[in-house]
Amino acid sequence: MRWHKRLLTAGVVGAVAMTASACAGGQVRGASQPPSAPATQPGASASTSAAPAAVNDKAFVYAPNLDVVTDWDPATSYSNENIAMQNIYESLTRYNAASQKPEPRLATEWSSADGGKEWTFKLREGVKFHSGNPVTAEAAKKAIERTMKLKSGAAYIWDAVKKIEAPDGGTLKFTLKYATPLDLVASSGYASYIYDTSVVEKVKDGTTDAGSGPYTIDTWAKGKETELTLKAFDDYWGGWKPGQYKKVAFRVTPELTTAWQLLKNGEVNFVQRLNPQLFAQAGSTPGVQATRTPSFQNLMLLFNTESGPLKDVKVRQALQKVLDYDGLAAALEGAGVKGSGLVPQGLLGFTPGLEPKQDLKEAAELLAAADYGPDLNELKLSLTYAQGDADQQLMVTLLSSQLKKLNVTLQAKPMQWNAQWDLGKKKGQDIFVMYWFPDYADPYSWFVNVFRSADPVSFNLSYLKDEAIDKAIDALPQLTATDRAAAEQSYADLQKKIIEEKAAVAVPYVQTYQRALTAGVQGYVDNPAYPNVVSFYDLTLAG
Amino acid sequence: MIGYLTRRLGQALLVVAGVVTLTFVIMRLVPGDPAVAYAGPKATPEQLAAASRQFGLDQPLHVQLWNYVRDLVTGDWGTSLRTRQPVREDLFTAFPASLELVGAALILAIVVGIPVGVLAARHKARLPDLGVRLGSMLAVSVPVFWLALTLQTVFASHLGWFPVAGEYDASLDTTSPLTLWTNITIVDALITGNWPIFTSTLDHLVLPALVVAAYPAGVIAQMTRAALIEESGQEHVRLERALGFGETTILTRFALRPALNPVLSLIALVFAYSLVNGFLVEAVFNWPGLGRYAFNAITSADTPGIAGVTLLVAVVYVLVNLVVDLLQGVIDPRVRTR
Repeated sequence: MRWHKRLLTAGVVGAVAMTASACAGGQVRGASQPPSAPATQPGASASTSAAPAAVNDKAFVYAPNLDVVTDWDPATSYSNENIAMQNIYESLTRYNAASQKPEPRLATEWSSADGGKEWTFKLREGVKFHSGNPVTAEAAKKAIERTMKLKSGAAYIWDAVKKIEAPDGGTLKFTLKYATPLDLVASSGYASYIYDTSVVEKVKDGTTDAGSGPYTIDTWAKGKETELTLKAFDDYWGGWKPGQYKKVAFRVTPELTTAWQLLKNGEVNFVQRLNPQLFAQAGSTPGVQATRTPSFQNLMLLFNTESGPLKDVKVRQALQKVLDYDGLAAALEGAGVKGSGLVPQGLLGFTPGLEPKQDLKEAAELLAAADYGPDLNELKLSLTYAQGDADQQLMVTLLSSQLKKLNVTLQAKPMQWNAQWDLGKKKGQDIFVMYWFPDYADPYSWFVNVFRSADPVSFNLSYLKDEAIDKAIDALPQLTATDRAAAEQSYADLQKKIIEEKAAVAVPYVQTYQRALTAGVQGYVDNPAYPNVVSFYDLTLAG
Repeated sequence: MIGYLTRRLGQALLVVAGVVTLTFVIMRLVPGDPAVAYAGPKATPEQLAAASRQFGLDQPLHVQLWNYVRDLVTGDWGTSLRTRQPVREDLFTAFPASLELVGAALILAIVVGIPVGVLAARHKARLPDLGVRLGSMLAVSVPVFWLALTLQTVFASHLGWFPVAGEYDASLDTTSPLTLWTNITIVDALITGNWPIFTSTLDHLVLPALVVAAYPAGVIAQMTRAALIEESGQEHVRLERALGFGETTILTRFALRPALNPVLSLIALVFAYSLVNGFLVEAVFNWPGLGRYAFNAITSADTPGIAGVTLLVAVVYVLVNLVVDLLQGVIDPRVRTR
């Protein structure tokens, strides 16, 4: 029976050969360091003389539920990697959700002229890229110009820019085609990074970066559990204090329960998302702290205003009054809260008093006026929503059971985004359910993308076509840049018009972030302008 | 023999061609524009058109199929819409980790399954046999996902005997970096003498390997038992009994070897099955293998990624079947003429 042994040998040799042929062999995992390099070897900077005395040598471990990096280019990056990029790269400004205003980052001050069509930013002095090159106005100009030229990801945020000049090393001057709040644009979560264009072509393989932020890439192992590690950039302009984390690791953990176990064991420090059951546990588990923050992302039911039964505004108004908003918020157990209008709290244009209310009696009257109801005609409506999203599923179930009482049958179809969007562009449904969030902290994004008329259809999936609304939307950027109070008023008026008068949309809830951290971590602030981003530089380890 | 070999190879190629065509058709039948998955949920019409052009999605379907097959043959498995890396490279990163897990599980299953099967056959219809039959039945039918979560909660989280998740302690990458030769961590650690990573990987392997091993161990035990019982009815066994050999000696020394033939073909097939069965286990234990890659590809509508995983698993199935067929041909010449 020698063939048994032969089979075994063949199997082992085959398996080894198959994988050996895949790699050149002899590479070191993580790839950026030779095997002999000590872990604490400084990165791009050579000067380590000012190392703090009592440093926190623990790594802060973040457990994301998806792979971290798909695109290392700061110009085109438009995905999950923002959780790393925001710590490696910096923008001119950074949005503060508490004050609702952009704050200094690489720029220390700025001003606008010519009715919001000219912007001048003063740059921080003595800032260095990780490459060692200084961050100058010329470098910033080159970076933004490259991002604009590549026209990928969120590069559209710079669309208003006509010309960038660098009159001196510390001054950056923008001339715009039309007025826009450029200080907000510059705080965007994507495509606003200032980077070193002389090294940016080398960032693709994740061994180096072109940023100026507090952290720089240590190792990147695509597809591995600990996909990415970052290390402190010793020459960071903000300096380093004892207690701050100088090492960061991203440990990809798709299963929520696994993430929770790891957090309880102290093996990871931050879990990006917990379900309501686990979040409730987190609140009462020693060694764990839980935080809940409303996001800038809300769910919208976009009604087909152009064709089908919802063409009748009375039917749309009825639908707005059918949904049990408070019941839904309770059923979501903290994963979402009732909003007010289209603009989430923390953004300019948030308007209190627009909270939706359930009113079944009025809904029945409105439907009856359109000849629908229990004793009248049956109404059949089609709805599409995101497959695999438990919160949307819950909303659809609630809506459907309420509608049934009014003799309205809801045909709800869960779909993957690309299929749902394709159907929406062909105006193939009565109700289109989707989340929306702004790329930079400006509510303009909802209005220009979702409610301004556009042909062919892109995101205006309620197919609303109203000249007065379009005109008001087009005036918003200039108002925001020049007269915030007037902009605020215009946003309030527009929301009333779109929600109450046109009834083009219902907003069931604003999503809430439910995070959990290990108890010893101090200084965590959840900034909804930068979804899922943890500013590791702001954190310290207690004790 | 050569005729048999070419016939089998030809059949295997046909199956692969069928899988390729089927995957392609299904990929294109799924509603929705694959370009959206690449260009992002908020892509502008220009970005979508550019992505369509880049992936040849603007071509007629038959041209796309032809391009797809041509690329596959030349070793280009397409670019993942999600990771933006060549699918082949992605698979070569993920596959070794799955191989490691399934390999460890199979070793475990064989080491446990065969002796247990012998035990059951030796004490046929008595308590040990009943126990083994019940145990193997449970092992085969328990849902892997449930078993994985239970073992994780009890042995990792509560008792702290094993790590909760992961392939090995990642901090070892800085203190004792691993040199890669085969991409299979435990093998590389062994051949380069990297003991910290070797022991850490072993420690991390125990729970997920146990879960993946449950099904193969169950079927191997059942098959060994059945084959041994059948073999002990053979004439040579009567002769051995007449010569005065004890029952245990007869089973282990004379009956086991011929009885292992069907068990070996079973092991080969169970290997391919476990690869897919392990997907859920990988998700629970953060194992950086094919399962996690497939999960991510499916949830983000990454059609080239999904097609790549499907094709790889199909090829493994076909290869394993081919090896089994050929081996049977070697052992039993009668098979070749069938």
